[in-house]
Amino acid sequence: MTHVLIKDLTRRFDSVIAVNNLNLEIESGEMVAFLGPSGCGKTTTLRMITGLLLPTSGDVLFDSKSVLTIPTEKRGAVMVFQKHLLFPTMNVAKNIGFGLRMAKMPQKEIDRRVSEMLELVRLPGFETRRPHELSGGQQQRIALARALIVRPNVLLLDEPLANLDANLRLEMRELIRTIQNELNTTAIFVTHDQEEAVMLADRIALMFNGVLQQFDTPQAFYERPNSAQVARFFRNDNMILGTRRGSVVETPSGNLEIDAGRVDQSDGPVMVTVRPEDVALVPSDNTNLVQAKVLTQVYMGTHKQVQLDVMGHTWLAHGPADFEIEVGQTLPIQLPKTHIWLLPSENGLQNV
Amino acid sequence: MNRLKLFEKLRVPMMLFPALAIVVLLFGGGMISGIGQSVGYFPVIGLQDFTLDYYRDILTDSGFIESLWLTFRLAFLSTLMSSVIAVLFALVLRHAFRGSQFLTFLYQIPIPIPHLVVATGIVLLVSQSGLLSRGAVTLGLTSTPRDFPVMVFDRPGIAIQLTYLWKEVPFIGIVVLAVLKSVGPQYEEIAQTLGANRWQRFRFVLLPLIMPGILSTSIIVFAFVFANYEIPLLLGVRYPTTLPVMAFRNYQDPDLALRPQAMAISVILAIVAILLLVAYKRLAKYAAET
Repeated sequence: MTHVLIKDLTRRFDSVIAVNNLNLEIESGEMVAFLGPSGCGKTTTLRMITGLLLPTSGDVLFDSKSVLTIPTEKRGAVMVFQKHLLFPTMNVAKNIGFGLRMAKMPQKEIDRRVSEMLELVRLPGFETRRPHELSGGQQQRIALARALIVRPNVLLLDEPLANLDANLRLEMRELIRTIQNELNTTAIFVTHDQEEAVMLADRIALMFNGVLQQFDTPQAFYERPNSAQVARFFRNDNMILGTRRGSVVETPSGNLEIDAGRVDQSDGPVMVTVRPEDVALVPSDNTNLVQAKVLTQVYMGTHKQVQLDVMGHTWLAHGPADFEIEVGQTLPIQLPKTHIWLLPSENGLQNV
Repeated sequence: MNRLKLFEKLRVPMMLFPALAIVVLLFGGGMISGIGQSVGYFPVIGLQDFTLDYYRDILTDSGFIESLWLTFRLAFLSTLMSSVIAVLFALVLRHAFRGSQFLTFLYQIPIPIPHLVVATGIVLLVSQSGLLSRGAVTLGLTSTPRDFPVMVFDRPGIAIQLTYLWKEVPFIGIVVLAVLKSVGPQYEEIAQTLGANRWQRFRFVLLPLIMPGILSTSIIVFAFVFANYEIPLLLGVRYPTTLPVMAFRNYQDPDLALRPQAMAISVILAIVAILLLVAYKRLAKYAAET
């Protein structure tokens, strides 16, 4: 239960700026994802929070106190690595009890807490197993238990689910969420997988090239991305250019009505976007209709994914699974007023 | 079909035969004849009857105990010091820093140089007429070369130890270094975030990881030093001397009647060495448990 404040945090490696002036406030007990493509500075940030790496400038505060002068071993920011990296020379109990042993806790107390932890990660009775006898998922859970037993101020997870297969990922995701809720530990995890971040995190910090793009709830990244780049990272590339004037956006194919209270771009050039799942292939009335040409269609089981040409931009739309449509066909699609979101206009994008 | 099966069965022994023949004939043959001589079977000089007299003579000789102690002390100290210094070097050299590659290269130089050459070099360096002694006089630290501390042909065997250190530190170190580099920094980083201080990270994380490497190399060093005769022969005092030197002198003596004693010493040496190695392995394993 620690409140974490990251203030103007910057890290350079020679001429490269890995993390550039990062500001984040993480509430106590919150689960935050650092999301971004590899090399975006998320792991560097994690290492600076642990103290394994010193920032070039800026500050890290736990409960309003700077921790930069506190060495890693006393900081209580515990790291779980991508590869679970249990100490191969120790059995499960010794691995989990490691932190308590370093703190010179009596062995009896350690034993008691180790078996508690094993209950928590649902591997009771595993004390004497050796790491190499465990499956990937089991190792992951032991690594988690080893971190949680010291009651860390902050739990840091570096791509916690990256090395697990699909079924296991789902199970671990559940488990991490449950345990984190139960213990109410402030947790930060790094991932490049947008879906993982959405399902696991209370809030997501999306970073590109060492710069924070948006720090928000998962829902906000879908409904209210603050730039075209962010929208694209969340798999929405449906965009056309327009000009906002009050409650309409003027586009080459006509005026679109918008919900003025919902959008946050002011009058002037903007980009109009509607997520694929919100584009209406079957209009319910005559408002906000746009001509589109069908480029491809793919049956996805639960729905049909249709690729469209909208004013020279390639859009995706989801229709019912049994939706009858032909490639090359032109049809009016509807951009529902309540689902239109405006992005700041981006250089280089042009309507045809 | 049957012949094929027979051939399959015999294939491995047949392929091993040339190597086995050499080992069995040369090594086993020598050992058996040595053991034979030590218990009184030496037909060349007319000895045929089984006896443990030679063992009794040696084990009751006060000089033998002194020699055994000296041999053990030299081997034990050389192994211990080499291991400790090698680990320290490896801990430094595993980090990449300016000049670390060159330093690693320098560090490996002693490996291919023969012990004899090293021994000669050490004499030139640390004897009373050696380089260091002259340097000390030139610098006014000592008034004559004779004031320089005796390190060659001395009772503690300082020059002997130095020779072993110079040769064995890189040998152990190179193995430990390879292990350390393959282990990477992540185990220590995890330990550090879990609250382990520098010493604890070494003691509970690194040491257990490198212990097998230290163990296997230091056992070789111990066995080598324990049975080595040329260095103490060249750099040591005449009496007391180590068991291998004692055995070698008896063996070379024109009086063939001393040869059974030489063999008895060698057999005792081998038995003691094996016992010590077993004990050492147990001890080291216990020490590595965390």
